[in-house]
Amino acid sequence: MGVLVSVENIEKTFPLVDGGQYIALKGIDLEIKKGEFVSLIGHSGCGKSTLLNMVAGLDLPTNGLVTLEGQRVKEPGPDRMVVFQNYSLLPWRTVRDNIALAVNAVMKDAPAPDRKALIEEHIDMVGLRPAANRYPGQLSGGMKQRVAIARALALRPKLLLLDEPFGALDALTRGNLQEQLMRICEENEISALMVTHDVDEAVLLSDRIVMLTNGPESKIGQILDVDIPRPRKRMEVVEHPSYYSLRSEIIYFLNQQKRIKKLRGKKTTAIARHGLEKVNLEIGFVPLTACAPIAVAQEKGFFAKHGLEEVSLVRETSWRGIVDGIAGKYLDAAQMPAGMPLWMTLGGDGAKPVPVVSGLTMTRNGNGITLDRRFYDQGVRSAEDFQKYLQQTRDRTHTLGMVHPSSLHNLLLRYWLAAYQIDPDRDVNLQTIPPAQMVVDLQGGTIDGYCVGEPWNLRAAIEGVGFTIATDLEIWDGHPGKVLGVREDWANAYPNTHIALVKALLEACRYCADENNELEIRQILAQRQYVSTNIDYIQLGNPNQAFCDVEQPMREYAHHLFFSQSANRPSRTEHLWIMTQLARWGHTPFPRNWMEILERICKVGVFSTAARELGLLDMKYNRIPIKLFDGTVFDPEDPITYLNELAIKQDFSIAEVVLDDDSRASVNLAA
Amino acid sequence: MTTSIKSRSSTAAPNFLIQFWQKQAPNILPPAIGILSFLVIWQLISMSGLSRIPGPLSLWTDDRTRTLLLYPFYDRGGLDKGLFWQTLASLIRVAQGYSLAAFVGISVGVIVGTNPLINKALDPIFQFLRMVAPLAWVPIALVALQQNQPAAIFVIFITSVWPILINTAEGVRQIPDDYNNVAKVLQLSRKEYYLNILFPSALPYIFTGLRIAIGLAWLAIIAAEIVMSGIVGIGFFIWDAYQQNYISEILLAVIYIGAVGLLLDRAIAYLQHLIVPAEQK
Repeated sequence: MGVLVSVENIEKTFPLVDGGQYIALKGIDLEIKKGEFVSLIGHSGCGKSTLLNMVAGLDLPTNGLVTLEGQRVKEPGPDRMVVFQNYSLLPWRTVRDNIALAVNAVMKDAPAPDRKALIEEHIDMVGLRPAANRYPGQLSGGMKQRVAIARALALRPKLLLLDEPFGALDALTRGNLQEQLMRICEENEISALMVTHDVDEAVLLSDRIVMLTNGPESKIGQILDVDIPRPRKRMEVVEHPSYYSLRSEIIYFLNQQKRIKKLRGKKTTAIARHGLEKVNLEIGFVPLTACAPIAVAQEKGFFAKHGLEEVSLVRETSWRGIVDGIAGKYLDAAQMPAGMPLWMTLGGDGAKPVPVVSGLTMTRNGNGITLDRRFYDQGVRSAEDFQKYLQQTRDRTHTLGMVHPSSLHNLLLRYWLAAYQIDPDRDVNLQTIPPAQMVVDLQGGTIDGYCVGEPWNLRAAIEGVGFTIATDLEIWDGHPGKVLGVREDWANAYPNTHIALVKALLEACRYCADENNELEIRQILAQRQYVSTNIDYIQLGNPNQAFCDVEQPMREYAHHLFFSQSANRPSRTEHLWIMTQLARWGHTPFPRNWMEILERICKVGVFSTAARELGLLDMKYNRIPIKLFDGTVFDPEDPITYLNELAIKQDFSIAEVVLDDDSRASVNLAA
Repeated sequence: MTTSIKSRSSTAAPNFLIQFWQKQAPNILPPAIGILSFLVIWQLISMSGLSRIPGPLSLWTDDRTRTLLLYPFYDRGGLDKGLFWQTLASLIRVAQGYSLAAFVGISVGVIVGTNPLINKALDPIFQFLRMVAPLAWVPIALVALQQNQPAAIFVIFITSVWPILINTAEGVRQIPDDYNNVAKVLQLSRKEYYLNILFPSALPYIFTGLRIAIGLAWLAIIAAEIVMSGIVGIGFFIWDAYQQNYISEILLAVIYIGAVGLLLDRAIAYLQHLIVPAEQK
C-alpha cells in the first residue's frame, strides 16, 4: 500500500485579538496509506478539525506541508471531498440536485448520460431513492448526512474527509450509518480521514486511530493500530479481544489529557516551609491494599507531622497513569511497583529515559496468581497441571493479565511460568490490564488468569470466579512489592523534602504493620477515595482467616509486609535482580554500567537519614540471598552469568545506558 | 341518490359562505370596525369646525372630487388628466428608478459583500449618503440633470438604492461558511458559484432590501413631484390642488397614494413568496 497523503511537520498558529499568537498544532507528522481509514480523536479544541481542514486545503498550515500523492496541497479540491459535520447541503436544491451540482461541476468532461447514471447510482447507494426529489428541509438528520456522503462519494475522491460526520445524529441512526459507511468504504476501497470524538466509532471504523493531545501546541500523542479484521460488524466487533483494550487505551488517553489540562491550570510553584523545599506535594497511588502506607500517612497525619502540610493524593487507575504523571512532572512522588524506577530509568517506556530513584520499599508480598475457575473444574491444581493443560490445548490462546511490565507481578508471573517450562511470550499471551479491572475481565472471559496484588486475588476467590494457584509463599517469600519513586531531578532539587517524605511513609509503614490497627486501616482502605471495595476483601494479616480457593478456601497466604527491620531499606541486590529480569524478557537492555545505575537509583542514604531521624537505629540490610522457589540462587556479583544460565528467555541486549548530562551533572554535584 | 346530491349541492354554497364567515370573521371584523370608527370621528371633527380639513363625506359631496372619483381615466390633455393617468405616470417613474436601483444595488452589493477591502473603503460613503433625505436630492438632481423627468428618476434611484445595496452586501456576507466550503471543495467556477450558491443563499436578504426600497421609492416620488412643477404625476397633482385650494382633491390623492403603496409592498412580498425557497424564510 503506497502512501496517499503525507503530513509533514505541520504547525498552525492563529492570531489572537491582543496581537499574540495561539499555536494550535505543532510538529504533526502523519501518513495515510491507500485504502486506509484513519480517525483523529481528541478533546474539543485540540485542533483535530483544523488538521482535517489542512488536509482538505480549506486551511493552510503556517509551517510544514501536506502532500497528496506527492503533490503539495495548496487549495481545496474534489479529490479530497469533505463530508461536513452539519451536512452542508444547499437547502434550495433537492437531494438529486445537490448531488448533481457536485457531479456536474467536477466531472464536466464526462458525457451527460454517464453523469446522470453516476448520480442515480449514488442515490441508490445510500438508499435515498424515495427521497430523491425532496428538499433537505424535508429530510431527517440521518438522511441529510447520507446525501452528503453520497455527494462526496459520487466524486470518486482519492481521500474522503469526514468531520464528525455522525456527531449530530441519534444513536440508532448513527449505528446504521456507520455500518453503511463501512460497507461502502470496503466495497470501493476508499481511503478516509475522519474526525470524531466518539471512542466506539473510532474503534469500529478505523484501521488506525490518531490521538491528539490538548492544545495549545497539540501534537500526536499516540497512534493505535486497530487489528480487528474486516469486514466488521458493529455487534461482533464488541466481542473481539482487542476491542476493550483499544477502547480503554483511548479513554485512558482522553482522561489523561483532561487531567493534564486541569493540572496545567492549577500549576503552583513550590511552597517552602519548615526548612523543607516543597510542602505541597501531589502523590500518586493505585487502589490496592498495598497503598495502605500512603493512605494511612494522609489519614493519620504522618505527612503533616513531618512538615508536608499540603499533600494531595492522586488516585490513578493504572500504573501507566503513574508513569505518565512522573514523566510529565505533574506528580511529585508515587507508589510504584518495585521494578518501575529501573524500568523508567532504562527507558522502558520507549521514550527518553527518565531517571527515577527510590529511597523506600513500602511493602513486600501480598500478591498471587489467580486462574479462571474453569481450570479448577478441569482439575488444574498446580503449576505442573497448568503446564500440561496448556500443552493439551495448544490450539487456543490463553491470555493472562498483569498490571505493568515493570511490576513484580509481571516478572514473578513470567519467572513462575518459565520455571514450569511455559514460555511466557510464546505459550501464553500476557496482557497489561489495570489492577481494578482484573476481576471484571476474568468474569467477562477476556482473560484466563492474572497476577496481581491484593485485594483482587481474594476477591476472585470469594466471588467464585477464579482460584489462587500460587502465592508469594510459593514463588518468592518476601519479594519487594511497592516502592516510593521520585524523579532524580526532583530528589536533587528537594533533598530535605525527600527525606521528610520517606520519614512520613516509613512511620506509616510501621503503623500498618501493627496488628492493633488492622481494622482501622481496612476501614480507611475500603473508602471511596482509596480502594473503594467491600472491607471483607481487604485483609492485612492474620493468615488463619484469609484463604483462597473455590470450594473450600484453604490456602495459606503471604500477607503484606509493611514494616520490619529489613523490609524497608532499598536493596541494590533486589534492584539488580529486577534488572536481570527486565533484560531477560526484553523489556529493557541490561546496562553495561549497571553499577552506576544501581548507585543512582537506590537512595540508601535518604533512607538511612530518615530512619536515623525517626530513631529507628536497628534498620538492617536484608542479607539473605535472593533464592526463588526453583532453588536458583542469584549471585549479585555476576548478574550476566546468571542471566545467561536462565533457560527460557528472550534475546537480551547489553548496552551502555547513558542518562542525560543534565541529571548526571546534578548527581555529581550532589555527590 | 340524485336527490341527495342535489340537496347537497343546493346547500353547499350558503354552507360555504357561512363557514368562510365563521372562519374569517375574527380577521375581518376588527379592522372594519377600526376603519369605520376612524372615518366617523374624522367626519364629526370636520363637521364640528375644529379643523378646516373636510370630512370623508366631502369626497362624494364635492363636485370636483366626485368627477375624479367616478372618471379616473379621463384625459383632457396637458396636466388635466384622471387620477389613473396621474398615478400611472408616477408609477412609471418609480419603475424606472427602482429597476435601476435594484440593478445597481444588487450588483454593487455583491461586489461589496464579497470583497471586505472594498466594503471598508465604501461603507462610510454609503452610510453617509443613506442619511440624505430624498427631498435634499431634488435640487442636486435638477442642477445635475437639467430636466424634470431624469431628475425625478434619479431621486427615486438614489433613495431606494441604499437598502437594496446594504441588504445584498449583508446577505452575501452571511452566506454560511459551509456553503462556501462546498463551493471551494468542488472548485466551482465564478459563474457557477454566483448562480448556485451566492444568489440563492443571499436571496432572502436581497428581498428584504427590495421590499424596504419599494416603500421608500414610492415615498420619494411624491416628494420629488411636488417640487418639480409642470409634470403629470400624483405628487404634482396634490401640489396643484393645494395651490388652488381643492382640499378634498388632496384627500382623494392621498387615498390613492396609500393604496398604491400598499399594493406595491404586497406585490414584492408575493414575488418573494414565489421565488425564495421555503427553507430559507
